[in-house]
Amino acid sequence: MEFHDDYPEYEKMATHDEVAGKKLRRTLWNVFWIMLVITIGELVVGFIAPGKGWTGSIYLKVFFISFTIAKAAYIVMIFMHLGHEVKFFKFTVLLPYITFMLYCIFICLTEGTYSGKPANRTPIDQILVKQQEKLRESKHHGGEHETVAEPAAEHH
Amino acid sequence: MSHSVEYDPKEAWNGGQSPFRLSYGKIFMWFFLISDALTFGGLLSAYGFIRHKYSDVWPKAENVFTHFPFVHEHIPLAYVGLMTFILIMSSVTMVLAVEAGHRNYKRGVLIWMFWTIIGGLAFVGSQAWEWYHFIEGTDVGAVRWVWDPETSHYIQKTIFGANMTVNEYGAPQFANFFFFITGFHGTHVFSGVVINFVIFMNALMGTYERRGHYEMVEKVGLYWHFVDLVWVFVFTFFYLL
Repeated sequence: MEFHDDYPEYEKMATHDEVAGKKLRRTLWNVFWIMLVITIGELVVGFIAPGKGWTGSIYLKVFFISFTIAKAAYIVMIFMHLGHEVKFFKFTVLLPYITFMLYCIFICLTEGTYSGKPANRTPIDQILVKQQEKLRESKHHGGEHETVAEPAAEHH
Repeated sequence: MSHSVEYDPKEAWNGGQSPFRLSYGKIFMWFFLISDALTFGGLLSAYGFIRHKYSDVWPKAENVFTHFPFVHEHIPLAYVGLMTFILIMSSVTMVLAVEAGHRNYKRGVLIWMFWTIIGGLAFVGSQAWEWYHFIEGTDVGAVRWVWDPETSHYIQKTIFGANMTVNEYGAPQFANFFFFITGFHGTHVFSGVVINFVIFMNALMGTYERRGHYEMVEKVGLYWHFVDLVWVFVFTFFYLL
């Protein structure tokens, strides 16, 4: 302890013994397996979704976003140790962030109508629009991209 | 967690101690991460906004990211799944390094930090590979109206891959956001690897052993978990939704 800085005792890093460490390691690995299972589940759903016509459905969005938030909560609460900090500190970190982000999403959804009007869009290449329409109709997914690469005759 | 001083919430704000029972450095790492998280939150909100504005021409990730190393078949989303696995795994090795630090176990800190650095480098490399294939595009390409400076007219031309002005797969805005957000995240991963390496060298030379605690490993661990946290959201919004 000949290091120059003079922390009060409570500001030193908390230490624990081998028994507590073993228990903590088991928790950490359990969290890892939970997150791995969630990620693989998400990928499997993402893989079969286009074939079943689920892509873009509200249920799929709710499914993905809720599992993402579950994973984020595991990272912040267990890996970043916020779940075991003092209550004041949890609120200091989480409340401003959650408030600002909810406000940001809210204001994008409600005040975004001007920019969202079709007339206010950046002009989009009409070839691209037709290709995307054809892609949606053909219902080919995953590596079938080349089927839509045909030249169109209309002018810009 | 065993704390050497008893904590009484009623007395916590009376002065003479940290009401958060955390060191100065860790509190300010958290505050930095909040501000950084707001930046990423703003970027991803903007992405969602533009995506819905151009939803009719927005490419689907499973049609874009179909490559996998050494495999000629198209396997959508498999590679990004592997990248996610690598980053979650390196987050676990980081938290195991922090746990070893709590026991003042130098060898454990070094081993787990080494694997964290390897995981970070593997992730950055994977991202470079993904960018390469996105920029290169397919063999067939796609026809677009492209500005021709020689004749000062728009001409029809077959383009390959994506850059900041054209995107073979769909709206150019997708490529803009993809390059900016994954690039910004990749910069964070790279700087995280560099910082991890510095802390690894310090631990190797016994700096923290002399200091009596491995709190620096915990601080850099917070940053590294944050990088993983951001990727969880980028993964969902770019590749799954």
